[in-house]
Amino acid sequence: MQSYEFYTAESVEDCLGYLFEKKEVCQVIAGGTDLIPGLRNESIRPTFVLNILEIESMRGVIENDDEIRIGPTTTFTEMIESEILNRTLPLLVEAAKYVGGPQIRNRGTIGGNIATASPAADVLPAVLALDGVLEIQSKQAGSRFLTLAKAIEAPYKIRLQPDEIITGILINKLPPGTRCGYEKLGRRNAMARARMNMSMVIHLDEKGTISDLRIVPGAVLPVAQRFQEAEKILLGKKPDPQLLETAAEALAEKILKITGIRWSTEYKLPVIKSIFKWVFNRLVFKN
Amino acid sequence: MKKRGIGVGSMFYGIGYGFSRQDISSATIEICEDGSVIVRSGEVDYGQGSDTIFCQIVAEELGVRYDSIQMITADTFTTPNAGPTSASRVTYVTGKAMMKAAQAVKKTLQSVAEETLGESDLVFKDEKVYSMANPDKNITFEKLAKQCHLRGLKIVETAWHDITTKDVDPETGQGKAYSTYAWASQIAEVEVDTETGKVEILRIIAAHDVGKAINPSNVEGQIEGGAIMGMGYALEEEIKQERGYIKNTSLGEYMIPTSLDVPSIESHIIEVPVSDGPYGAKGVGEPALIPTAPAILNAICNALDIRITELPANLENLHRLIREKEKGNQ
Amino acid sequence: MTKDKNKTLLRMKVNGKPLEVMVNPTWTLLRVLREELRLTGTKKGCEQGDCGLCTVILDGKAVNACLVLALQAESKEIETIEGLGKEDNLHPLQKSFIENGAVQCGFCTPGILMSAEALLRKNPKPSVDEIRIGISGNLCRCTGYSKIIKAINAVTKK
Repeated sequence: MQSYEFYTAESVEDCLGYLFEKKEVCQVIAGGTDLIPGLRNESIRPTFVLNILEIESMRGVIENDDEIRIGPTTTFTEMIESEILNRTLPLLVEAAKYVGGPQIRNRGTIGGNIATASPAADVLPAVLALDGVLEIQSKQAGSRFLTLAKAIEAPYKIRLQPDEIITGILINKLPPGTRCGYEKLGRRNAMARARMNMSMVIHLDEKGTISDLRIVPGAVLPVAQRFQEAEKILLGKKPDPQLLETAAEALAEKILKITGIRWSTEYKLPVIKSIFKWVFNRLVFKN
Repeated sequence: MKKRGIGVGSMFYGIGYGFSRQDISSATIEICEDGSVIVRSGEVDYGQGSDTIFCQIVAEELGVRYDSIQMITADTFTTPNAGPTSASRVTYVTGKAMMKAAQAVKKTLQSVAEETLGESDLVFKDEKVYSMANPDKNITFEKLAKQCHLRGLKIVETAWHDITTKDVDPETGQGKAYSTYAWASQIAEVEVDTETGKVEILRIIAAHDVGKAINPSNVEGQIEGGAIMGMGYALEEEIKQERGYIKNTSLGEYMIPTSLDVPSIESHIIEVPVSDGPYGAKGVGEPALIPTAPAILNAICNALDIRITELPANLENLHRLIREKEKGNQ
Repeated sequence: MTKDKNKTLLRMKVNGKPLEVMVNPTWTLLRVLREELRLTGTKKGCEQGDCGLCTVILDGKAVNACLVLALQAESKEIETIEGLGKEDNLHPLQKSFIENGAVQCGFCTPGILMSAEALLRKNPKPSVDEIRIGISGNLCRCTGYSKIIKAINAVTKK
């Protein structure tokens, strides 16, 4: 029989103090869209549940000179409606639009998507493509910063100490002219886990050369990451179908190397290559 | 690459249980002293609208307002056996029993009205009973009911309807399998992404012969709902079993279409009355979903020149067939 | 049956009425609405956020009540289907659903009405595509969504 104590933190300080006391046996809850089914079927059995949804400072999007700061309890709906994100980081808006359905988007949070670290996460890969950095706080150690890339240890496991919590997601603004694209393939057009997704950031200089390229396929690896092997093939060059094909091959090779052959490989490898090329061409030739 | 195709699926389907399986229904109608009507039926309306059409049938027969009828249904203590709500049979069998019960009750009312009005060419309409030749000779339904009660007549009738068929010869397969059949065709227009195997249904056009649409809106509702069931059946719905255990028991894993997956559906109601249905009506519940998957698969074949023989035609299965065909072409 | 010592006081507003109820911290808002408050208009389906049957409006936003822990509803304003309209004073959406034949078995109806209401409050004149998105978190098996979309669209045209 599930049984736990429930506490709603009023501030970050309050939250960190509570975590410091309760540590391993404490489960943090925000939107709860991933967590509550786990609590119900008792696959998660905490002694304490800490509700962080009422902490004002953990929510919202702030624009600074060079970076955007997103509170971890910002919901997907709030991200979609954020004027700042639409203007500066539309990749996150596109990704957030694909999550579940309206009810899930009204509760699910960016911090939750990251902390849950599901291999099929929708927004997490987009944050990776933007080289997002996590601000992590604890009562004992104060603040530290960790790139999201380094923060994911394994599927469903993020490198947080039991008394730590994500208090901000920091993303550098993109140079003007940067193009971003996101695509999700699901079994149906709403309420579907990603069969695979693709986040891409690309910048072409005045000569039409690719000066920046970030590729993060999602739901193809246990831990999402940037595919620098594929990026390097195209970086510094002009967009070219032959080169694109080579990069797509490198993409597939890397996936195969990491996962080996699984039942889904026959489908996933060719399709992620197609999606990769499709997003690339859409971004490069959109005008 | 996106490829479009159009396909047609056609079907006929036996209404009722058929093959000499017992297929009977009954209904009880009672006229109260104040002219209100109570209908008792064992039939379950689980949203398809059988209660509604029973009221319509009784109202049509007795000339009363359809919302003045009180329905008592699916109460094993008081309602007569109407058989299950299945086999697309409720309108055809129970609707007919309803009609018969109404006609039986009408007979009693009619004989009293004839006596009272001194006319025999009587019409039951607009909550009155009146003579066709002399409409001035009339009596309200309410007053007529009261008259009957004052004469000590209890106006309650139970009618039966039986469509159990003789069956077919086990050797030759000839004979009477079903009492009647429904006919339908559906056309699907699809767009296939040949690189991902994703199928978008752009349009479904459905034409169903229902004999008579007693409630056209409800018939459309059946066609629209059934077509989407057929769509899911064709594309992504799959019960995964392993050693007798169903592996995908949650709605997150058994994927039915959402509002963002469904096409516009145009339904055409065809009415070729069947002689033994109420007002010529037969059935549409199951027929609604039968031609859809064939229409979709034919549309996919039209788009890709690939015959699909196994369902669901989901992402992986279709993708595999497309790649196999490409290899074959090389 | 239930040990009272493990219960906490929950204060929230439901359909405009402030109320207090003792809840076990493991309960969801759905459980409180249906079992404690006897507001059974909100339906229980998958209980994991996949079907939308339990959709209510929380502080103006459509949410799955099965994915809100009861105590997360502290000080919040909850609106359920019971608050949308009364039998003798139906909400325009409810009237439109009846007029347009958008109700078959009716099980998805309360949840879809709440999603539609939440949509129309934010966007009083949505396009058909926006209506589809607005109810995309609610599953329906009977209607194929056709008449539901028609019914919601009819209200926006007035």
